[in-house]
Amino acid sequence: MVLFFENSHVYNHDFQTVSLAYFNRYPNPFAKHVLSSDTLEQSVDEDGCLRFTRLVVKTGRLPGFIKPFLGSNLDSWIIEKVVVDPKTQTLLSYTSNVDHRKFIRVEEYLKYSTVDPNSTLVEAKVKFSSNLMGFKQKIEEWSLKRFSSNMSNTREGLKFVMNRLKEKGGIWYKEVNIASQ
Amino acid sequence: MGNIMSVSFAPECTEAKNKYDDCFNTWYTEKFLKGKSLENECTEFWDTYITCVNSALAKQKIKPMLDKAREDQPFTSEEIRQSAGTEGK
Repeated sequence: MVLFFENSHVYNHDFQTVSLAYFNRYPNPFAKHVLSSDTLEQSVDEDGCLRFTRLVVKTGRLPGFIKPFLGSNLDSWIIEKVVVDPKTQTLLSYTSNVDHRKFIRVEEYLKYSTVDPNSTLVEAKVKFSSNLMGFKQKIEEWSLKRFSSNMSNTREGLKFVMNRLKEKGGIWYKEVNIASQ
Repeated sequence: MGNIMSVSFAPECTEAKNKYDDCFNTWYTEKFLKGKSLENECTEFWDTYITCVNSALAKQKIKPMLDKAREDQPFTSEEIRQSAGTEGK
C-alpha cells in the first residue's frame, strides 16, 4: 500500500537564509523529539553541487500499532540526503527511515527554490509505503495525521531558526566559546 | 552570542561536530553559495569529526541497516539538471 501527500509553501526569506536554517533546523522548540543530527558524508560533485548525507535520531516516530513488532528500541534512525546547486540556488532533500522498512517506510522529498531575492518556495512530497496486511485504514489515518502535523511543525521550527539567523543578519557567527584555544 | 547547535548521536563526538558545523556553515554562506569556492575548506575539522562518528557507529547494531539506507539514490545528476530546467512547470 502506497500513499502520497504533497504541498508547498513560500518563506519570506532569501535562499541563503532558508537553506542555512534548514541545515541547522535542530534543535528548535517544535522538534523536541529530535535527539541528534550527524553528517556522515559530504562532497562537492563534478557539477559543482554540494552533497551530504546525514543521520538524524528521533524518539517514538513510528505508529503505536506497530510497536509490538519493534522490540524494545523505539528510537527512529532517519537518513537524509541533500543536494545544493549554487548556480540555480536550489536545494533538494530526501529523508527516509532507516529501520523497520519492512513494516512502514516514509520518504520525504523537498525542493527549495528561489522565487525572488526575498522569497523561497518549498515543495514537499511524502510517500508512505507499507506491507503490513490488515492495517490499511490505521496506516492511512496515521500517515495523514502525521503528514499534517509534521508539515506544520517543520515550518514553525524552520521559521524559528530563520528568525534567530535574521537577528544575526542572516549570516553564521563563529562559535567563539567552543574552541579550546 | 553563539548559535545553538544540535548534538551528535555519540556524546563524545559533539564537540568535534560543533567545530565542523561551525566551519561548514561559514564556508557554505560566505564562499560556496557565492560561487567563490568548490572545495569544502573544513577538512581538518571533518577528519576529526568523521573518525569519531565512524568509530561510534561501528558499535551500533543498526549499522548494517544504516549502510543499506546510505545506498538510497534519490537524485541523480540528471534529475537535478531537469528539476532546475523545469521550474514553474
